[in-house]
Amino acid sequence: MLKTTVVGNYPKISSDKNAPNLRNALNLKDQGKITAEKLEGIFQETIKRVIKEQEEAGVDIITDGQIRWDDLVTPLAKNIDGVEIGGLIRFFDNNVYYRRPIIKSKVSFKNYSTVDQFKFAQAHAKKPVKAVLPGPFTLAKLALDQHYNNIDKLTLDLAEILNQEAKELEKAGAKFIQLDEPSLCHNSEKIELAIKAIEKTFDNINCKKVLYLYFGNVKSLFPRILDSSVDVIGIDVVSKPENLNVILDNNFAKELILGCLDARNTKIETEQELFDLFEKVTKKIPPEKIYISPSCGLEFLPHEKAVLKLKKMVEAVKNFQREFLFE
Amino acid sequence: MLETTSVGSFPKPDYLVKARNQLAKGEISQEKLKELELQAIKEVILMQEEVGLDILVHGEMERGDMTTYFAENWEGFTISSPVRSYGNRYYRKPVVVGPVRRPKPVTVEYYKYAQSLTKKPVKGMMTGPYTMCDWSFNEYYPNREALTLAFADVIHQEAVDLEKAGAKYIQIDEPAISTRPEEIDLVIEAMRIVTLGLKAKTISHLCYGDFRTIYPKILELPVDILDMEFANSNFENLEIFEKPKFTKMISLGVVDAHTHKIEEKETVKNNLKKALRVFEPEKVLVDPDCGLKTRTPEEAKAKLKVIVEAVREVKDELGLK
Repeated sequence: MLKTTVVGNYPKISSDKNAPNLRNALNLKDQGKITAEKLEGIFQETIKRVIKEQEEAGVDIITDGQIRWDDLVTPLAKNIDGVEIGGLIRFFDNNVYYRRPIIKSKVSFKNYSTVDQFKFAQAHAKKPVKAVLPGPFTLAKLALDQHYNNIDKLTLDLAEILNQEAKELEKAGAKFIQLDEPSLCHNSEKIELAIKAIEKTFDNINCKKVLYLYFGNVKSLFPRILDSSVDVIGIDVVSKPENLNVILDNNFAKELILGCLDARNTKIETEQELFDLFEKVTKKIPPEKIYISPSCGLEFLPHEKAVLKLKKMVEAVKNFQREFLFE
Repeated sequence: MLETTSVGSFPKPDYLVKARNQLAKGEISQEKLKELELQAIKEVILMQEEVGLDILVHGEMERGDMTTYFAENWEGFTISSPVRSYGNRYYRKPVVVGPVRRPKPVTVEYYKYAQSLTKKPVKGMMTGPYTMCDWSFNEYYPNREALTLAFADVIHQEAVDLEKAGAKYIQIDEPAISTRPEEIDLVIEAMRIVTLGLKAKTISHLCYGDFRTIYPKILELPVDILDMEFANSNFENLEIFEKPKFTKMISLGVVDAHTHKIEEKETVKNNLKKALRVFEPEKVLVDPDCGLKTRTPEEAKAKLKVIVEAVREVKDELGLK
């Protein structure tokens, strides 16, 4: 049967006025009006709320909403030796910004970035929590390299660090580990490097290995990317609708995350639109190998719209299965 | 030549920030807030005259977010609940739910008021159509192109009204221009609609983008003056504009609008001289990198002062009039 998942981030503030207000708390902490403990409590309450909302919507594989993350790279960058956190720069073609990591010297592991967060999330969740990391190529590409001057070496060194993180995540109980590689969509000529780096990152990892590709055209990555050892490939078919053909025209022997609800626009998809997509994809790939998902992280949306999209997604999948897959 | 100006926004004085909060809670009336907005505009006009700037702005005292402001005053929108842009900064986004329409002028009254207070030219100030599209949620138009062109129509109407009201400089900001370099033809087409038939000097502010991806294509943008930041990149961006030759006028950003630190006059002078090796002096205006609304009023004034002094001295030193 079709399953559902999410890509990663989730709105940090809620449309519910009674929900813990992380935005307020961060301001108050800045002004010295609340303690670090109080802020930490609000972080934890927010993460629990986000987990609950995904579970209540009926999502099968959830995330912790990356509530502690300001962007995709800083959580890792600040825990890697040889990296400084730089200035704000636009994140792909969005009106959001990330802090650009600056590579000052050879990179090496300093601390785990996501393991405690994963443990907390899974301890408060009934559904499996997917651990999400920036992929090694994207992490290298989004950084300003002032040391290696060689994207290959930097990427592979980062892969080794991410592998350490991944191993510890698996030890902590992660059943799914996802690498986000949006940069790969814009640099398909680096596919060999990316595959090598992904293999290195997932070396000796036995849980489900996921690669998620968003914000770009994936055509030139196929069929080569299907040779990699990842178990699941996720594709955003909203930003580039032609990506759907890539799925349909290739012998897609892996599991698929179909990123098909627009996580960057508030317009809610109609059931018919979704059914059309599901129909096309389930003809080529067995339904039990498919996860339906929003196109990217939901944090681009106002909270109440993010919740609506998840509910719509789960409802559409349920109705589709009932009507077309007889389950 | 080398006229000094600013990009558009100024910090709101404390009494105005307080009043805006009070309005949101229903504690004061719209009329009372407007009184205070006009007072704040008067104060910044006087401050700009005191500092000695050549082309003035009204400081956008009546505006919050540069896209949401227009969405609130046009038809076809709702406003979203807050969405995060970075760090702990959130903003409400326009949501296009129907055809975009302009029932009446939005910026003309404030422009006229500001201009009535000074003999120096005050800029008419608007957000560009492509940026309006890129920063809005779209639940109505079939695609980005249709939405952008719909915005271009209403913004053109507003520009015509500003010109009728006497505006000699009309600015249409497009900070989103470098987000998707593959859409630059749409940006250009939309701007053509906006500036069609205007006799005023037109300006477009483009900020914090990777200019490399859109130069020299941006020379096709149908405006007279391009306003761009250089302090932010420590003037390393200058080399992008060396070849091919820059054919428009440029409003050169020489101080960083997003730091507390007030630049040293000598630094600004040296950077300006560097820039004058790339751009012809007759084609150059000088301003801060971006709107000043994130600074304190004291910082904003100090940054403008250093610009005016630096320009005065550079003109002397280079024998320019």
